[in-house]
Amino acid sequence: MATQQEKIEEALREILSGSVDSSVDLASNTNFVSDLGLESIQVLEFVMEVEERFDIAIDMESLSDVHTIGELARIVAGLVED
Amino acid sequence: MDKVDLLAKFDKISANRDQLSAVGRDPTSIVIDRIISPTEAIIDGKPTILVGTNNYLGLTFDPECVAAGQSALAEAGTGTTGSRMANGSYAPHLALEHELAEFYDVPHAMVFSTGYAANLGTLAALVNTGDVVVMDADAHASLYDGCRMSGGSVYRFRHNDMTSLGNRLRRLAEKASRTLIVVEGLYSVLGDRAPLREIVALKREFGAHLLVDEAHSLGIYGEHGRGVCEELGVMEDVDFIVGTFSKSLGATGGFCASRHDVLPLFRYASRPYIFTASGNPSVIATTRAALRQISARPQLRQKLHDNAERLYRGLEAMGLRLGADVSPVIAVRFEQSEDAARTWERLLEAGIYTNLFVPPATPDGSSLLRCSVSAAHSEEQIDTILQRFREIIEPARSRAAGS
Repeated sequence: MATQQEKIEEALREILSGSVDSSVDLASNTNFVSDLGLESIQVLEFVMEVEERFDIAIDMESLSDVHTIGELARIVAGLVED
Repeated sequence: MDKVDLLAKFDKISANRDQLSAVGRDPTSIVIDRIISPTEAIIDGKPTILVGTNNYLGLTFDPECVAAGQSALAEAGTGTTGSRMANGSYAPHLALEHELAEFYDVPHAMVFSTGYAANLGTLAALVNTGDVVVMDADAHASLYDGCRMSGGSVYRFRHNDMTSLGNRLRRLAEKASRTLIVVEGLYSVLGDRAPLREIVALKREFGAHLLVDEAHSLGIYGEHGRGVCEELGVMEDVDFIVGTFSKSLGATGGFCASRHDVLPLFRYASRPYIFTASGNPSVIATTRAALRQISARPQLRQKLHDNAERLYRGLEAMGLRLGADVSPVIAVRFEQSEDAARTWERLLEAGIYTNLFVPPATPDGSSLLRCSVSAAHSEEQIDTILQRFREIIEPARSRAAGS
């Protein structure tokens, strides 16, 4: 059975697949900027979609250390549990 | 582990800059050889019409402002050589604060040495660890930097999107009462205004506070020129107004005005206020004179809006893609950043100075030429600007259509 972290990662991949080339592999450690080439504006838009999907609010300080799907999933998991 | 040199980070900046200058004129290295008036300068040896200076009311050469500055320079010297907390305020600093409070019809105002310092200093004093800022995603860098300095948690909402703002306030739940909503009156790149009535309704619903940055709207909107807050009738519901002297007032410096009695206490809690030199006497004097002009000459506002309308409608008639609102900030949008850069450079060669914005400096990742209109532009100047746009845009379009 998938863990909560895996479920969240799967949801993040689904949201992200709308804005990146479908041939790119979206792994836990895929970097938004260096692997996916997302501009900061696209990262912002992605994060806003994630907030809507999970009905959470993510502050900018937490985001400053987030570069991968896995890292973002951990932040989301923490907020969903609250 | 690889050793990284302290200075290595500049390799990338240098490469980016070289790339910029390789394709044409570097927009960050423009030199104004000589400024002639609020709307004209010599650039590259050529007379040039300025339509990218934020000199909205054209007061930089106003005879009363110039005379006030000259007289203060002669009477009070070139600088104050110290900060207000450690070395004392000059009486005119306090007079300006009093006049600003009167202008906004609130009990308190506080003057900072620059607009940037006003935003940093206000947010750093007002917001602390444990407090929350909910800020429009398109807000100015100085507001972001102020938030970072404040230690508060910062959440962004989609630009001018009330669902996005409402959702964030709702999710913050019990923290809403210690939340500051931060928006601008007039957004400086796309020239659109904040829906302040709706923002105020949400502020009331959740019991939050509201700060509005009127940097680009002071002297431009509202019956008394107080800004978009006045224009939309929400002055009573705005907790803090911040702004700058460096645009419509043609000087440098910034301020915060508030109906809350805590504002004077910010002086003890605001590092950007405490640890910097106070405004020069001549700058304070020209600012005071310019503030008087805003009250005494409402016709300047009318002329500004007439000019903005004339330029906007002319550009619109050429089929150019513009921002949605007619305002003194007019953004001409391009699909490709190369087209924006080429048009910007050709306009400059033809004697028209605009501002080039390309990603990542633009709020929505688009490329645009930003025009800022002045009350000092003559109708002939506006028509010349339009004529030059036409001469450059139309051949480019037929080339594109023929290729």
